[in-house]
Amino acid sequence: MNAAAGLDFAGIPERIQSEVQRAIQRSIKGVEYFSTSGPTLGSTPKDVLRSRGTMSLYHYRPMSDEIYRVPVLIVMATTNRGYILDLVPGQSFIEFLLRRGYDVYMLDWSAPRPEEKSLRMEDYVLDFIPDCVRRVQQDSGEQDVSVIGYCFGGVLSLLYGSIFQDGPMKNLICFTTPIDFREMKLFSNFSDRRYFDVDRLVDSVGNVPPEMILSSFEMLRPASRTVSQIQLWENIWNDEFVKSYRMFDRWATDTLPLAGEYFRTITKDLMWDNKLFNDTMSVGGRAAKLEDIKVPFLHAVAEHDHIVPYEAAKHLIAKIGSQDKEEVMLKGGHVSLVAGANAVKRLWPKLDSWLGKRST
Amino acid sequence: MTDKINDPVAMWQKMVGEMEKGFNTFANQAMSSPEFSQAMNRAGGVAAGAQKQLGELMEKYLVSMNLPSRDQVTGLAERMQAIEGQIAEIKSMLSHMAESSGLSQGSDTAVRPPRTKRPPSGGGEQT
Repeated sequence: MNAAAGLDFAGIPERIQSEVQRAIQRSIKGVEYFSTSGPTLGSTPKDVLRSRGTMSLYHYRPMSDEIYRVPVLIVMATTNRGYILDLVPGQSFIEFLLRRGYDVYMLDWSAPRPEEKSLRMEDYVLDFIPDCVRRVQQDSGEQDVSVIGYCFGGVLSLLYGSIFQDGPMKNLICFTTPIDFREMKLFSNFSDRRYFDVDRLVDSVGNVPPEMILSSFEMLRPASRTVSQIQLWENIWNDEFVKSYRMFDRWATDTLPLAGEYFRTITKDLMWDNKLFNDTMSVGGRAAKLEDIKVPFLHAVAEHDHIVPYEAAKHLIAKIGSQDKEEVMLKGGHVSLVAGANAVKRLWPKLDSWLGKRST
Repeated sequence: MTDKINDPVAMWQKMVGEMEKGFNTFANQAMSSPEFSQAMNRAGGVAAGAQKQLGELMEKYLVSMNLPSRDQVTGLAERMQAIEGQIAEIKSMLSHMAESSGLSQGSDTAVRPPRTKRPPSGGGEQT
């Protein structure tokens, strides 16, 4: 080794050989990349129990010999597809829950139709979720239902739980759920009421187009898309990297439009007036206060979440009225908290340990 | 043996990572200003207005050519999806009814496992 220069000359030929091999592999795999469609996502066997426009309720077929008494209803964020929680076998949160003995249902969303532009927050909180909960009760034969909400699905679950405080929700789990919208600094600035005319936008376009939602997510880290493409090219010889890239890239760009009236309420009540945080939120004239949620509660947040920074989520645990409540901060980002190799080791076992005890 | 200090590939990757962080931080600072919000929303407002007008114009043109617009085709596709959803729902209801009446057959209607599972004793985290 040349100590002065810090270079290992003996290792250079080996390194060059390795890089040449990778360059050849890149060319071969690069052609493969563009000629194949990537892994099939969301393939855990399921039945559609209910489908009404933008709303779908799935029941996943059990994978264990006995299951917990209390079924689990997952409420997905309205901006994205639920298959992030069901990527591929071995990296599927749904499959994990089924193998651990949970009876799993998912409230998932598809793109609202043009005529669904008039869907309001009331439709989501006072109709869609209660309708799904009733259907879960009928299908499972159980009165109690545990609810898991991811991101904005968590906000909807909080609103539901605070309004329907007498049940049948038995446990509530939120993943990366914001309540203090002032702390979502960039989103807050993008929707600054002095410059953002939400009425004009909604009245012009009806449903808010997915390109707009995707752009606002991507603007949070504007260089990251380009860098991820550079990383893809560097690692295109690595099948596991490519598989993972394709899964997450496909999901991230598969953004849903938002129903216009619903978006108007999110902007005015949450982004502008921060009503959930200020305890002044109401849905369809019914007060939604977090202190009214008394069921066992778990909030999982990500240490490096750039979409929902911890500052926007941290007050939730204090505001919830439950005695039995816990916040857990885990390494990872907004998506890697719930999906992918890190989630398998971190969030999923923690959730199983917390929920299993409360599901009998 | 090469390590990260003298490996040119690792150095390149580190540099790209640092550039990403630096650019994101710089851009985030720039985008936090009220001026950015004003400019972005002015452009967005113009784009939304133009998009609406263009959409209406295209719709009129397609009607005059006796052709369906994109919205109409999308609407038809979504109606199809809705019908598929209804069929799936009816199928699920029939399966449920068959299950309740003891006529279940096949994977769709397989008898569900008993709801008797207990958490592992000890309460420790499982991996």
